[in-house]
Amino acid sequence: MSRALEGLIVLDRTGSFWASLGVALLGDFGAQVLRIEDPAAPAGTSDAAAPRPAPWDWESELAQRNKRSLVVDERRPEGRAIVEALVARADVVAIDRPLPEVLASGWDYETLVKLRPDVIYARGTGFGPKGPDRELPALDELAAARAGMMPLLPQPGQPPVYPGHGSMYTAVMLALGVLAALEHRAESGEGQIVDVSLLAGNMYGASLDLQAYLAIGGERLLAPVSRLDMGNPMSGTMYPASDGKWVTLTMPDTGRWWPAFAPLVGIDPGDPRFDSHEKRCEHNRLELMQELERAFGTRTAAQWRAAFDEHQLSADVIEDYSYPENDPSAYRNRYLLDLPHPSLGRLKLLGFPIFLSDGTPGLDRLAACAGQHTGEVLHDWLGIDEDRITELRSQGVVG
Amino acid sequence: MTTQRAALDGIRVIDLTVWFQGPVAAQHLADFGAEVIHVERPKGGDQGRGVRSIKALPVGDWNQYFLVINRNKKSLAVDLKQPQGREILYRLAEKSDVFLSNLAAENLAAWGLTADALHAVNPRLVYAVTSGYGRWATATKPAFDMTVQALTGLMNRLGEPGEPPIYLGMGSGDAFGGLLGALGILIALQQRRRTGKGQIVDASLYGAQLLLAAPTLQAYLATGDARYARQRSRRTPENPLWNPYPAHDRWLFLCVPNDDTSYATLRRVLGDPPAAREPRFASAAGRREHATALVDALDPVFRERSAEDWTARLRAEDLAVSPIGTLRDLAEDPQAWANDYLLETFCEEVKRTVTVRGLPIGLSKTPGRVESLGPELGQDTELLLADLLGYTWDEIGALKDAKVIP
Repeated sequence: MSRALEGLIVLDRTGSFWASLGVALLGDFGAQVLRIEDPAAPAGTSDAAAPRPAPWDWESELAQRNKRSLVVDERRPEGRAIVEALVARADVVAIDRPLPEVLASGWDYETLVKLRPDVIYARGTGFGPKGPDRELPALDELAAARAGMMPLLPQPGQPPVYPGHGSMYTAVMLALGVLAALEHRAESGEGQIVDVSLLAGNMYGASLDLQAYLAIGGERLLAPVSRLDMGNPMSGTMYPASDGKWVTLTMPDTGRWWPAFAPLVGIDPGDPRFDSHEKRCEHNRLELMQELERAFGTRTAAQWRAAFDEHQLSADVIEDYSYPENDPSAYRNRYLLDLPHPSLGRLKLLGFPIFLSDGTPGLDRLAACAGQHTGEVLHDWLGIDEDRITELRSQGVVG
Repeated sequence: MTTQRAALDGIRVIDLTVWFQGPVAAQHLADFGAEVIHVERPKGGDQGRGVRSIKALPVGDWNQYFLVINRNKKSLAVDLKQPQGREILYRLAEKSDVFLSNLAAENLAAWGLTADALHAVNPRLVYAVTSGYGRWATATKPAFDMTVQALTGLMNRLGEPGEPPIYLGMGSGDAFGGLLGALGILIALQQRRRTGKGQIVDASLYGAQLLLAAPTLQAYLATGDARYARQRSRRTPENPLWNPYPAHDRWLFLCVPNDDTSYATLRRVLGDPPAAREPRFASAAGRREHATALVDALDPVFRERSAEDWTARLRAEDLAVSPIGTLRDLAEDPQAWANDYLLETFCEEVKRTVTVRGLPIGLSKTPGRVESLGPELGQDTELLLADLLGYTWDEIGALKDAKVIP
């Protein structure tokens, strides 16, 4: 079976988890991804904020999988020549360094396009390549703070919430932008710059709230709304079950669900307080929420799930991470992988969110050690002979 | 006038989707210039057209829910329950590159719109679905953003301990699933260039939201440490210098590494308050161990000035910080406007310019565009049938009489 992106050569000059992960999405589908690393760079990214030291470097195993690694000192002319020869062979270059550093190190588009005229240059920044804040550090926290959602997420009176997932949108946008540019290149022969940013990623994460504010304005989308004051008691709501777990409902068109749902929560479907969508969602909205709050407190979350399943309602239990960890369908779909590892026992690794019937993604290699493929790449890609490689190594040009 | 080229010029997409996740996947393709045909039932169309309120706020005089994610698209209204309706879709499939749907698999099967059926008509077709739980799932229950987000564990870890779980925002998971759907489609198109064949793509909402959780879910899977899965107070951070703080008028996000040099700089900017000088805060380990005490000590200091004031002072010393803004701040943010993340466009429905979510991905030579907001239901039906699919006007009349098309 062929791989979807077979033959595509990507140079990966990214340092952040999210940008590296965006590039890894290309590798998962068969692109040949080569990380270009500095001799001074520490191997792998650190996990300084871990509550407990991880038994393995999970950030690298996820974000650097399916990649080769080459270490080269490009401050040396011989090293720079190697980089330039690799760029000349590359379809895609991905980079997330600060803009001034990119310029100073000769990794800017204008320089690279002279080496490879149709190169696709994927650039990740914190806040986009234009505007007054284009050089602010590319930190997801700073971008989330700008995207407008943090004050809106908690219950009233609570501190703003940093959700921590905004950079994942940006990671996928990086891969998506590259694929769109590849499509154009295939038709026109022309490469270009692809720009993605953490600000844009966080903004798209907030898509509906943001768009509603842009269109409607007002105060209700600027500050938190109590969970017992939602617009529709049966949609976007959550209620505590008797065992402390929570259930959540998404039944926006309440009329469709009411006949099956009402008896479950001890309400007569014909109860004149709630017998129309308008009554449920406008006139008696708050009263219905109080009724539901009481009703859901009478049974455990597991009992509620069984009831929801039986009636095929659009409702579920709010779980923690042990749920997907123990969900056979997450493994069957390869959203999670459970791999034997020679020294670590087992690795539970996030897998592949996209299924392709012919171009199935796969895990060809775990994260490489820095420089693991230096010799292989110099020899196989650039035709440099073993003696010369040994010489370059002893001179410290490559590692 | 020269027509600007677009990245996906020449790609035709059948967009048989409703609500959010499916339409937004096709929106990305349409923004990049693909010809996207939103296929809808003649009566009422895509359910997204029926949205009247958001968070108990009336949507106002234009339905921003539907019109923004269906921008740059055509609309074909057709009754797929009738055989002649299916015939229209088969003829369209013959001339298209991509079929995308997020309808229930039973519906697609009942209407003869399985991958096998459409590949028999056009083997080059990329057949994409954005399902709820994935191709190999056993679950048959409905899949909406929040109920699926609930299963992944994402919601459960946010907020202060004891507070309710937190939903990441309306359409947050759908938006991510839509991005992955668009990515899967473009990957399959790339492979088609070599193989000449289409294939099946499935980017499910559940799979998407598991990846969305990656930064903490992967940490949990690697360590088994339940703290990654639980709520964590801002008063018990790993690094108290990397934390939200309340300024006088609103909150700010301080992002300072926990090292002695940075802490010394921070103290200086803060006016070296006595509380921050305590010996137990003198080392990185001490600050980590006494994180709650340090947060409690810094809170009143930050309350003394505005977020703007602190931001200017901290940035002057190269410390990373940002005020925590609202959607109003974002709507006025020059950075968002400078990069086309927000755009103004004309809304036919209300005959005025409105502001929309813009283009999150920049392409320097073939930038995305917003040329029109979502189409009127069925507005392109007759022209598509006549010009693209070769129906005669008599045949079109007969289809109208039979209520196959409006």
